[in-house]
Amino acid sequence: MTGSALRTIESKLTALLTAAMCLAAVDALAEDDFLERGKYLLYAGGCISCHTEDSDDALPLAGGRALESPFGTFFSPNITPHRETGIGNWSDDEFVAALWEGVSPQGEHYYPAFPYTSYTGVAREDLVAMKAYLFSLEPVDKASKEHDLAWYMSTRLAAGAWKELNFDAARFVPDAARDEQWNRGAYLVRHLGHCGECHTPRSMLGVLQMDQEMAGSHLGDESVPNITQHRVDGIGRWSASDIEYFLDLGMLPDGDFAGSSMGEVIDDNTSNLTREDRLAIAAYLKSVPPRETP
Amino acid sequence: MVRKLISISTAVAVTMGCSIHAAADTTPEDAADYRIAIMTTLRGHIGASSMTVRGLVEDRGQLVNHAQGLANSAMELGNIFPEGSNVGESEALPLIWEESEEFAAAIVKVQDASLEFVEAAENGDAEAIGGAFRSLGMACRGCHDRFRVAHD
Repeated sequence: MTGSALRTIESKLTALLTAAMCLAAVDALAEDDFLERGKYLLYAGGCISCHTEDSDDALPLAGGRALESPFGTFFSPNITPHRETGIGNWSDDEFVAALWEGVSPQGEHYYPAFPYTSYTGVAREDLVAMKAYLFSLEPVDKASKEHDLAWYMSTRLAAGAWKELNFDAARFVPDAARDEQWNRGAYLVRHLGHCGECHTPRSMLGVLQMDQEMAGSHLGDESVPNITQHRVDGIGRWSASDIEYFLDLGMLPDGDFAGSSMGEVIDDNTSNLTREDRLAIAAYLKSVPPRETP
Repeated sequence: MVRKLISISTAVAVTMGCSIHAAADTTPEDAADYRIAIMTTLRGHIGASSMTVRGLVEDRGQLVNHAQGLANSAMELGNIFPEGSNVGESEALPLIWEESEEFAAAIVKVQDASLEFVEAAENGDAEAIGGAFRSLGMACRGCHDRFRVAHD
């Protein structure tokens, strides 16, 4: 083989190697973007507040937060990728089924304290990105606590019966009559951010009353405000800018500050969103009809 | 710098548990009402600053005044929580006196952030002003989260 032929092969090999390295770099970059997206969606989904215990030294996402309800106290589970105590053995399909259908990998029904009733509208690619991010975190070995419920709710069959009566699994379908910003807001408010789980009143059976969407409710002893466009009971006098600023900083238009549960939602969820997404939430909320607080 | 020293000394006064008996004529109700008045002043300046920072109203030079008003009232924060003043319309939580060191540190944060907001309002561009006001908001909320009765 001549020297020039060798050089040709060498240069071709170099080119190939460079291309392969570039592809690997692109893959790594795409992987980083994917995880970043998952992290962002996890914030938007408000997962951190509920799945982290309410103490200063709590390990994020390792569960143990007590959620009081008229049916007893629920304790959020560990959703770190620990194989025994967390969700480390879950496949993508099992994760999606949990959020879309409210069913565990063992086929057990979840209680609607886990807001799959809202998450059912979230797109599969968003859920898969969220799972990928969760799986990139350090597994935490912490057994999930048993719920402490009234006798009639203490079997998962009750959760199954409740679902049979009150739950329809369905993805979000954009409203073609509305613009992109409104649709993004609707997706964030109704599904991923599940705002109505606290702000919409419930029936005796704990079912969200959608004809009263965002008209205010209760969370244990805490009353949750009406955020419809009602000018007295709700936030009808707030501009989109007021809502966006509140979701970023927790600052009310009159210069006061949110505390309590919404303070936590702002810290763990809305302050981490882009301004565009907060404005989309505002656009959706500005379209919620005025309703009196029930 | 001088203001920073003042902010630290007022915070120390809180941690030392200054009581309403320090001023013989101040009743617990007076102390609570004075606190509410100061907080209302702060709220007014914050609301007005917020609208100006967001460009909802034109800045005709009032932002600096609001920033200074904010800082002046913030300097009073260390003096307005005497023990025994949790009466009447007060929304203070007992945690203020149970965790007085943490509370004093939270006040210093607000005071420092308010001085930085004055600095930005006097000399900064829109981005610096927005950033400083944001930090101030976070500092205020740090207290309201833990030390005040939850609002609806």
